[in-house]
Amino acid sequence: MKLTAQGLAAGYHDRSVFEGLDLSLPDGAFTVIVGPNACGKSTLLRTLARLLPARQGTVLLDGTDITTLPTREVARRLGVLPQSPLVPEGVTVADLVGRGRQPHQRWWQQWSPEDTTAVEQAMTQAGVASLADRPVDQLSGGQRQRVWIAMALAQRTGTLLLDEPTTFLDLAHQVEVLNLLRGMRDRGSTVVAVLHDLNQAARYADHLVAMRDGTVVAAGPPREVVTADLVRDVFGLDSVVVPCPVSDAPLVLHI
Amino acid sequence: MTAVLRIGGLTLVVRRRAVVVSLVLLVLLAVALVLAVSLGKPYVAPGDVLKSLSGTGTPYDVVVQRLRLPRAVLAVAVGVLFGVAGALIQGVARNPLASPDIIGITQGAGLAATIALTSGAAAAVIAPSALAGGLLAAAMVLALGARHGLAAKRFVLAGVAVAIALRALTEIVMLTAEPIDGQRAHIWLVGTLAGRGWTETLWLTGTLVALLPVLFWAGWALRTSALDDDTARGLGTRPVARRIGLAAAGVLLAAMVTAQVGAVDFVALVAPQVARRLVRTERPPLVAAGLTGALLVVLADLVGRLVFAPTQLPAGVVTAAIGGPYLLFLLVRRKR
Repeated sequence: MKLTAQGLAAGYHDRSVFEGLDLSLPDGAFTVIVGPNACGKSTLLRTLARLLPARQGTVLLDGTDITTLPTREVARRLGVLPQSPLVPEGVTVADLVGRGRQPHQRWWQQWSPEDTTAVEQAMTQAGVASLADRPVDQLSGGQRQRVWIAMALAQRTGTLLLDEPTTFLDLAHQVEVLNLLRGMRDRGSTVVAVLHDLNQAARYADHLVAMRDGTVVAAGPPREVVTADLVRDVFGLDSVVVPCPVSDAPLVLHI
Repeated sequence: MTAVLRIGGLTLVVRRRAVVVSLVLLVLLAVALVLAVSLGKPYVAPGDVLKSLSGTGTPYDVVVQRLRLPRAVLAVAVGVLFGVAGALIQGVARNPLASPDIIGITQGAGLAATIALTSGAAAAVIAPSALAGGLLAAAMVLALGARHGLAAKRFVLAGVAVAIALRALTEIVMLTAEPIDGQRAHIWLVGTLAGRGWTETLWLTGTLVALLPVLFWAGWALRTSALDDDTARGLGTRPVARRIGLAAAGVLLAAMVTAQVGAVDFVALVAPQVARRLVRTERPPLVAAGLTGALLVVLADLVGRLVFAPTQLPAGVVTAAIGGPYLLFLLVRRKR
């Protein structure tokens, strides 16, 4: 297991979002977390990525309690992309992707040949190499999202958590991003994403986690997990589930 | 776009454009320095300036070596410190308005200096009190802003509020003091380089040299200051700790220079913004901001010395006179 949550509790101010949550995310797989709005999926992702301190319980990264690791060390092994990151004004693509190298650098050792290789490879993999000298704030939403993923790729973490990476993108760009993430999985990375679209989740995920009101309702391969009962249970929606004619993954059609 | 620079054990990332801009600014600064030493009554030809500096006696030795050169060099130091201080604080706050003369540091130094000047304290006490006042004001602003993790907007608002309160207190202290003391405080409050020189320069250069490792770190740490906190944390940094460190360095520089020469307004505000536009970065570049500041103060002091001669206008008045219209220009241009 790559990431494990044990008895995890988290929340904001005096509001608890979840308590006593247990979860295991498999190594080298594409895990997708789904659930209705405000079910706690983003909070879970932020807690797993130590962006939000856990109130109780532990997050284990490769079996080690994440709070015992220096934050730089975590950043070399675990990358995270928030839902809508702030785009700095006038920064070029290459410059922003280069900032992914931060955890591998020191102020007295600000750049190494390895950094150059990592940035070039990341931009090629994410398909943004031709945009290298363009300012990020002038790109389209889809291009911008691929730049952020390139930054995370340059970080070379082996594990990447993404909070709703396809929101605000049109269908073609959503597919582009999902294919990019699947490609990362194919190259051996562990990818964990929060997604809104249940059918996309079922089609792309190796491991699906369904949440409702701060609890994990079901977790496992989409073919085993996605049923009409689960859809009613999690989303309160009546549906039929049929095999997808393209990919054979479960396809949810609401009634 | 960027280049890698190696100095001994240091490996720095620099922007090519920043290097070119800085070199051009250095040349302009050299020209401005020559003008600052040459112009005035008596006029000293640049050739005679060089002769006097090289030690070949000229009739102008007193004018060049005692009067004009120390003042011009001090102007450079003042400008560099204000420029770098402004770049640091603006970079942290992601807001061009967050400069030491807007967020209360200058006003804290001013209040402390006014209290010292009007309570009959010895002259040697004034600069240290001003430094302490500036640092205290900054601590207040940071404490008010830190409650929300130094979120950019709150930090600036807290600073503006503190600045207004401190300015009001300064007025009260000045009005209730003996008129002659109030007048002295008033003169101190408008930053001037007249009658100052090597001693102040030494203090300022000392501060800058002592903070040099911090500034190398700051140039680096500012790279993540334009990212949101979650993204920055994901990259293994501690954004709040970084902001406090960067702001503290900026505050220290600003308080130190204000304590030495008074409030040379707008330099810390304008220089980083001009430098940012020249280098085209998302944050004010430190080196270019320092050089822009130096150029600005040298020219402001020169203009103040010449335009109303024999009356000397304090450099702080000239910079304020340039700064106001410049801000308006920025606002107008941004709308297009």
